[in-house]
Amino acid sequence: MPKTRHLLMASTAGMLLAGTAFAQVSDDTLVVGLSADITTFEPAAVSSRDNANVVRHIFDTLQSIEADGSVVPDLATNLSISEDGLAYTYTIEAGRTCHDGEALTAEDVAYSFNRAKDPANAFTGNTPGFVFSSVGFVDAVALSDTEVQINIGAPNQIAFGLLAEVYVHCKDSYEKMTLEQAATSPIGSGSYKLESWTPGSEVRLSKMSEPGTFQNILYRIIPEASTRSAELMAGNVDIITNVAPDQIDAINGSDTAAVQSIQGTRRMYVGFNLSPEFAAMPGGDAIQNPDVRRALQYAVDVPAICAQLLNFPCERATGIVNPPNANKSLTPYPYDPAKAEELLDAAGWPRQADGTRFTIRFQAGRGRYLNDENVVLAVAQYLSDVGLKVETDIMEWGSVYVPLIRERNVGPLFFLGSGGGLWSPLYDMTDLAKVDSGTNYTHWNDPRWFDRWTDIAASKSPEETRVIIDEMLQVFYDDGPWLHMYFQPDFYGVSKRLNWTARPDEKVYLFSATLN
Amino acid sequence: MTNLPDAFAIAPVTGSNFSRELRRAGRSMVAAKWPLLALAILFVVVVVAIFGPWLSPLDPNRQNIMMRLAGPMAPGPNGATFVMGSDALGRDVLSRLLYGARVSLMVGISAILVGGTLGTIAGLVSGYFGGWIDDVIMRLGDIQLAFPFILLAIMFLVVLGPGLVNLILVLGIGQWVTYARIVRAQTLSLREKEFVEAARAMGDSTTSIMFRTILPNIVAPLTVIASFNVASVILAEASLSFLGLGVPPETPTWGSMLAQSRDQLIANKWWLAVFPGMAIVVTVLSFNIIGDWLRDLLDPRLKERG
Repeated sequence: MPKTRHLLMASTAGMLLAGTAFAQVSDDTLVVGLSADITTFEPAAVSSRDNANVVRHIFDTLQSIEADGSVVPDLATNLSISEDGLAYTYTIEAGRTCHDGEALTAEDVAYSFNRAKDPANAFTGNTPGFVFSSVGFVDAVALSDTEVQINIGAPNQIAFGLLAEVYVHCKDSYEKMTLEQAATSPIGSGSYKLESWTPGSEVRLSKMSEPGTFQNILYRIIPEASTRSAELMAGNVDIITNVAPDQIDAINGSDTAAVQSIQGTRRMYVGFNLSPEFAAMPGGDAIQNPDVRRALQYAVDVPAICAQLLNFPCERATGIVNPPNANKSLTPYPYDPAKAEELLDAAGWPRQADGTRFTIRFQAGRGRYLNDENVVLAVAQYLSDVGLKVETDIMEWGSVYVPLIRERNVGPLFFLGSGGGLWSPLYDMTDLAKVDSGTNYTHWNDPRWFDRWTDIAASKSPEETRVIIDEMLQVFYDDGPWLHMYFQPDFYGVSKRLNWTARPDEKVYLFSATLN
Repeated sequence: MTNLPDAFAIAPVTGSNFSRELRRAGRSMVAAKWPLLALAILFVVVVVAIFGPWLSPLDPNRQNIMMRLAGPMAPGPNGATFVMGSDALGRDVLSRLLYGARVSLMVGISAILVGGTLGTIAGLVSGYFGGWIDDVIMRLGDIQLAFPFILLAIMFLVVLGPGLVNLILVLGIGQWVTYARIVRAQTLSLREKEFVEAARAMGDSTTSIMFRTILPNIVAPLTVIASFNVASVILAEASLSFLGLGVPPETPTWGSMLAQSRDQLIANKWWLAVFPGMAIVVTVLSFNIIGDWLRDLLDPRLKERG
C-alpha cells in the first residue's frame, strides 16, 4: 500500500510538473517559489510582504530590525535623536553607491523620504500609508553629505523602527524617471539589482555588492500550492512560501526538501467594517453595536480551525498585539455558541421565523494566506450556526480584493492578515495609529483607543507606557473592530541543499543563505 | 464547435409519421446498445438532479472540520457514513456530488435553451430576410467566434461577477452562433420550397411563416446540435468553476469540487478528484453518444439505407 501511495504521489507530481520544463538549479543561483505575484518595484508603492521581500534585496534602508528585535546598521552608521524626540539624525556610511554608479549621500536619503510623501506622486505603499502616517512624518533635510535629519510630528517611541522600513534610492536617477519607469526598472541601492521581470512569471536579480552569498536570485511566481510543492520536491526551487498545511507530510516524506514550521507574527482577523456606508448594508447596522461584535467572538472555534485547517496548534489571539507583548490579563474568548446566541438575543437580534438573525456579507481574498478560503468558509459556518445568514464573497486576491482593501472598502465582514513584529507592542498597535490611517480598514473610531496615543507620546517611562497600552488593549478586546483569530504560522518548504532559517516576521531575506 | 454533415440539409419529422419514426428510433437504440446505456445513465443523472436533496445522505454544505479528509466509507457524523469520503471542510462528497448534478445539468440545459433560442431567432431572421440583416447577424457571429470562448466567458464573468444566472447567460450567449448558422442554412433552403410559398400565398404573416412553417422543419438538426452542446457546456461550467468563476464557493458543482481537490492531490486524497471527475466524464460521454446516435438516426442517407 505505501508503494502504491508513493506511485500515486509521484504520478501526481509528474502531472503537476508537466509543461514546466525548468532545469535543475545551478549552484550560483537561489530559486524561490512565491505564491503571489510582484506588483511593483516602486519603493514608495510596495505594500505587500511578498513584494517587500523581493524589493528589500534591491534597496537598502537606514537600519534593519533583526528577527530578535535588535537594531543593526545598514546605510546609517549612527543615529541621534533630539531631546524633544522630533528630529532623527542619521550618519550615512561614506562610499556607498546606487546601481548606476551614482554616489549615495544624505541628499539622496532625504530625497527618498520626501519623494514618498509628495502628494503629486499619490503613493499608497507601506512608506506613506503606514510609516509616515504613524510617525507624522514632516520632512527630511540633508545637513551635509553624510548627515540627514528626519523630522516627525510627535514623539514616537518606535519611530526608529518604522523609519527603518523606508527604501533609499538615488535622487538623480529617480528624478529622470517617470512613475511607470520607477515601477518597472528600479535603480537600487542594495546588494542585488533587478536583471529582468516578467509579471506573473519570474523576477531575476544579480549580485552587486555584499552582503549576499548567491550570485543570482530567481523568484518564480507559482500561485498554485500543489505545483509549488511539486517543484520543490523535484529540486527545481530551493525555497517555497506558504506551503499548504495538507502538503507538509508529502514534502517531509520526500528526499529533497523539508518544511520549516514557525509561529509567525501576522495577525489574522475578521474585520468589522464600521464605516457609515457599510452601516447601511444588511448586517452592517448590527455590527455597529459592540455587544453584537462581542457576541460573535464566542461563536467561532479558533483553536479547532488552527488544528484542523492550518495543521498547527494555536492559542486564540486576544487582540492586535503579538503574544509576548500582549495584555497578559486578557484571556482568549472561548468557543461558546450558547453564550453567543444569548448575547445576540440580548443585543436585540433574536432569531426570526426562518431561524436567522440577520444577513451579512463576508468578503475575502483567495490564495494569499494559509488555507484562507477554507478558513473563511469555516468561520461562515460557525457564524451561521448562531443564526447569521452569511453570504461569502471570495475574490481573486491581487487584482480584485487588494484594491478594495486599499480603499478601505471591504465588508461588512472581511478576512485579513496584518504583518506584525515582536520588537514592540506599539509596532503592532500602529495599524490603528489614527482613525484615518491607511491600515484602519475597519474605520473604527473609539476615542478610548485613539485619544490615548497622545498619552503614549507624553509618557515618561516604559512602565507608564505599558499601563496605557494595556488599557488600550482592554478596550480593543472588549469593543474592538476585530473578531480575533490567530497569529498565522508560517510554513516554508526548504531544499535540503540549502542552509537557510525562516524568521517569524515573514521576512524572507536570502543574504546569508548558503549551500550545504 | 460541432460541424454538422451536409446530410442535415433537411430531415423533417412531421406529425403524420411521428409514431413510425419513434418506433424506428427505439429499434435503432436497442440495436446500437451504447446509446441505450448512455440514455440509462442520463436518466439516472436526471433523477439524481431532481431528487438529489432527498437522496443525499447528509447536508452537502454542512461542515465538520473535525472529520475532514475522511476516506471513503469512513464513519461520519451522527452514525452516518462518508460513502465517498469527506472534503477539506468535512463535507460529505457523495451529497455534494448529488447536489452538483443538479447545478451541472441546470447550467447545461439552461445555457442551451438561452443560446438555442437566441441562435434560432437570429438564424431564422438572417436566413429568411437575407441582405444586410443577414450580413450584420453573421458578421456579429464571426466577431464572437474570433475570440476564444473560455476567454470571453472569463471576461464577462469578471465584469458581471460569478453566480449561477450570470454563468448560464454567459455560457448561453457563447453558443448562439452555432445555432444561428445551422438555422440560417436551413432557412435559406426552406424559404424557397413550395409549402413556404403556399403559406405566403395564403396570406400568413412573416412571423407565422418563420416560426410555424419553417421552424418545425429544422427541429431535428437542432436537437442533434443541442445534445452535443449540452456536453460542451457542462465541461465549460466545470472549467469556469475550476477557475473560481462559477457559482459561489459553498454551492457544490462538479467543477468546483474538482478545483477544491487540487491542494489535496499531492497529499493523495484521491477521492476528492476521482468522483466528481468521473461524474463529469460519464455524463459528457453519455451526451456525446446520444448526439452521435441522433445524428445517425436523422441522417436521410442512412435512413434510406436502413
